Amino acid sequence: MSAILETHDLVVAYGGNQALAVPHLAVARGELVGVVGANGAGKSTLVNSLLGWSRGRPRITGKVILEGQDISLLPSFARVRKGLLLIPEGKLIFGTMSVAENLASASIGAVPDGRKAYSVEEIYDLFPRLKERRGHLGSQLSGGERQMLGIARALRLGPSALLLDEPSIGLAPRLVATVLQTVRQLADDGLAVLLVEQNVSAAIEVVDRLVLLERGSVIAEGPAATMRDDPRIAEAYLGAHAA
Amino acid sequence: MSSAWNWPLAALLAVAGFFAPVLLGGSPAIYAALVLIAIFAVMSYGLDSIVSDLGEVSLAHTVFFAVGAYVTALLSVRLGLDPVGTLVGTIIAALIAAGVLGLITLRLREFVFSLVTYAVAVVALTVAANWSFIGGSDGLRGIPAFEIGWLGIRAAGDVELWPIAFVLLLATLYVMRSFRRSRLGQAAIMVHLNPRLATMSGIDPQRTRLQVFLFSAPITASAGWLYAYQRAYVSADLLETYFLILMLTAVVIIGRRLLLGPLIGVALILAQEKFWSFGGYVDRIILGSLLILVLAYLPGGLFGLVQALAEARHRVRARAGDTSSQTRPRKADA
Amino acid sequence: MNLTQQLINGLVLGHAYALIAIGWTVLLGVARLVNFGHGQMYMLGAFMTWFSVSRLGLPYLAAIPVAMMAGVAVGYIMQRVMLRLTLAQDLVSIMIVTLGFGYVLHGAAGLIFGSTGQILETPLSTRDIYWGDLWFTWQDIAIVLVAMAFFAILKYVIDNTGIGRTARMVAEDPPLALLAGIDVKKVYFAVFAFEGAAVALAGALVAPRTPILTSMGFDEVIITFVVVVLGGIGSVTGSYVAGIALGLFTAFFGALVSPAYATAAAFGVLISVLVLRPGGLAAAPGGR
Repeated sequence: MSAILETHDLVVAYGGNQALAVPHLAVARGELVGVVGANGAGKSTLVNSLLGWSRGRPRITGKVILEGQDISLLPSFARVRKGLLLIPEGKLIFGTMSVAENLASASIGAVPDGRKAYSVEEIYDLFPRLKERRGHLGSQLSGGERQMLGIARALRLGPSALLLDEPSIGLAPRLVATVLQTVRQLADDGLAVLLVEQNVSAAIEVVDRLVLLERGSVIAEGPAATMRDDPRIAEAYLGAHAA
Repeated sequence: MSSAWNWPLAALLAVAGFFAPVLLGGSPAIYAALVLIAIFAVMSYGLDSIVSDLGEVSLAHTVFFAVGAYVTALLSVRLGLDPVGTLVGTIIAALIAAGVLGLITLRLREFVFSLVTYAVAVVALTVAANWSFIGGSDGLRGIPAFEIGWLGIRAAGDVELWPIAFVLLLATLYVMRSFRRSRLGQAAIMVHLNPRLATMSGIDPQRTRLQVFLFSAPITASAGWLYAYQRAYVSADLLETYFLILMLTAVVIIGRRLLLGPLIGVALILAQEKFWSFGGYVDRIILGSLLILVLAYLPGGLFGLVQALAEARHRVRARAGDTSSQTRPRKADA
Repeated sequence: MNLTQQLINGLVLGHAYALIAIGWTVLLGVARLVNFGHGQMYMLGAFMTWFSVSRLGLPYLAAIPVAMMAGVAVGYIMQRVMLRLTLAQDLVSIMIVTLGFGYVLHGAAGLIFGSTGQILETPLSTRDIYWGDLWFTWQDIAIVLVAMAFFAILKYVIDNTGIGRTARMVAEDPPLALLAGIDVKKVYFAVFAFEGAAVALAGALVAPRTPILTSMGFDEVIITFVVVVLGGIGSVTGSYVAGIALGLFTAFFGALVSPAYATAAAFGVLISVLVLRPGGLAAAPGGR
C-alpha cells in the first residue's frame, strides 16, 4: 500500500515547549487510521499541524507529504487545494447559510485538479438527512447534522486525504455509530482518513490501525485487532472517560 | 430569486429612476440633489463591499474618493484629458492606492486595520492641505466641463450631468450585484463569517481581502471622478470626516448586503440635508446620531426593523385569530 | 537648531502625548475597546476648560475638574448607548459608533462654542522661564509633572490594588471574571468614564499650548494610536516610553524637516513597524 499522507519528524513547539513530536506517520489509500489519547495528548495539535494551522501560532517543523509531494512549506489554504481536508472540531459550517448554500459555497476556493470531488447528488446519497434539510440554515441543524454537513463540505473539495477532529463529540451514542460508519465508507471508497477520536471503543470498531498519543508522543501503534487488547489502550480509554 | 422575473422589474426601476428628477418637479435644486445622491451612492458602494461583505471597516475610502477627484483635476487641468482619459487615470490611481494600502494592511485585522486606514485618511488630509503640487489648501480650480468630443457628449450643469451620474450609478449597481454572485464575493463572505473555515475550504483569506480592496477602491474613486466635474474644483475638504460618516451611515442605515441599501441611505440623508436642513452643526448631530442609533439599537438596519414589525404584526394577528377560534396551541408563534 | 531646546520641547511634547494617550491605553488594555471619538473628547476637554475660565470666571484649577466631569459624562453616555455592542464584543460596530460620537461632539461643540479659534490662557501658560538661551513655560513643567504623577499612580493602582486586579481579570477573560463575581458591566462603565476624564485632563493641560478650535482632535487620535501601538497595546509603562519617544521624534522632525508633516512622519514610522513586525503588537492583557 502506498501512503497518500505521510509525515516525517513532525514537531510542534510553543516557545521552548514541545507540544507534539511524531517521528513518522503514514495513511494509505483506503485506510482509516484512528488517533486516540487522553485530553491534552496532542490529538488535535496533530491534525491541525498537518495543515500548518494551530492555535497560538506555534513553530511547526517536519515534512508533510501528500501523494508524494512535499507540502510542508505551503500555507493552509494551499494544502487544502492539494486535497488535504480537515474537518475541524466545533465551528465547521456557516450558520447563516442554508445546507444547500453551504454545499455550494464549499467548492469556491479549491479547484480539484484531476481529483474526484463529490457532487451534491452523491453527497445527498451519502447523507439522506442533509437532503431532507437542505433548505434549513446551518444554525438550525442538530449536532449530528452539522457534523455530516462539515464532512460533506470537505467532500465537495475533492479530498485525497481527510482529517477528522473528534466528529463524535457531543453526539448521541446512536449518531456516533452512524457518523463513524460513514467515515469508514469514505475510506472504503478510496480516501486516506485520519480520525481523531476520544471515544476509543467506538473508534476501534471502524478503524484499520490505531495510534495512541500521550503527552505529544506516539506510545503505541498497530492494527486495530491487536491494539484492542493493549493495556495502554484500556488505560487511555479509562483516562479519557475520567477526564 | 428568479432572474426572469427580476429583469423587467429592474428595467422598470431604472426607467423610473432616470425620470425621477422630472417626477419630482424638475427644479434645478432637485437635479442638483439627485446628481449628488447618485455620486455619493456610488462612493458608498465601494465601502459597502468592504463593510458588508468582507466585514472590516475601512476608514480610508475618503482617500480613494479624493484620489479620483484629484487625479481627474490634475489630468484635465494640466494635461487636458477628456473624461474618458481621466476615468482611466482615476481607476489606475485607485488601484495603485488600494494595492499599496492593501499590502500594508494585509495582515492587520479588526481595530488595528481600521486605525491604520483612519490614520491614512488623516495623513492624506494633511498632505492634501500642504502639498503645493496638488494646490495645497487652495485646491485645484478650473476643471473643464464634462465633454467627450468624439461621442458628442457635453454636460455643463446638473441637469446635463444627471444622465451621466445615473449611468454611473446603474453601472455600479450592476457591478455590485455581479460581485455578490461571483466567486470573489462568496469567498469574501466566507472569510468574513469564519476565516478558519474559509481557509479549510481552500480560500486564501489575505488574497481575498486584497482582491476585495482592489475591487472596491475604483468604485469609490469613480464617484470622485464625477464629483470633480460636478464641483469644477477639488480641495482638501474631500478628505473630511463628513464623507466618511456619510458613507458609513448610508451603508448601515437600511441594512447590510441589500443591493439598494446604500442608495436609499444616501437619498434619505441628502434629502434631509438639502431640503430639511437645520444648519451645518445640527445636521452633523443628526447624521452622527443616526449612525450611532442604528448601530446600537437596530443591528438589522431600518429594513430589519420593518421586517421585525411586519412579523410582530403577523404574530399579533395570528394570536387574535387563535383566541377567537381557539384551535391552535400558543406554541405556534414561538 | 538648538539641540537642548529641541530636547526640552520633545520631552514636554512626549509627556503631553503620553497623557493624551493614557485613557485609550487603559480602554484597550482593560476592556479591549477602541474609541475613535477620543480626539473630539480631547477637544471638548479643552473647550470646557476655556468656557469655565473665560465665560464662568472659574479659576483654572477649578476649571480642570469641570472639564474632567464633562469627560466622565460623555464617556458614560457612550458606554450606555454601546453596552449591547460592548458585551457582544462587536468591535466593528463599536468603532463606527465611537466615530459617530466624535462627529456628534464636533457638531455640538460647534453649535455651543462657535467655529472661531480661541486662546485658552492659564496662569501657568503665560509665565515664561528663560534659562540661558532655553525657553519654556510653567505650563510645560505642569504637563511633565502631572503626566509623571498620573502614570505613577495608575501603574501603582493597576499592579497593587483590588481595582487593578479586577480590571486585569476583566481584560483577560470577561466571562471568567463574571464567574468570579465581578460586575463586568460596571467595569466597562468605569473604564469609559476614566477614559473620558483622562483625555479631558489632557485637553485642559495640553491644549493651552496652541490656539483651540472645535475642528481639532484628528492629530490627537493619530498620536494616541501611534503611542498605544508602539507602546504595546494596553501597556501603561510602554505608553509612557512610547509617548516620550514620539515627542522627541516630533520635535526633531519638526525642527529638521517640516513641522507640517510631523504627524504624517510619526505615522510613517508606525506603518514601517506594523509592516515589519505585525505580530509584535500583541501585549499581555491587563495594562501593565
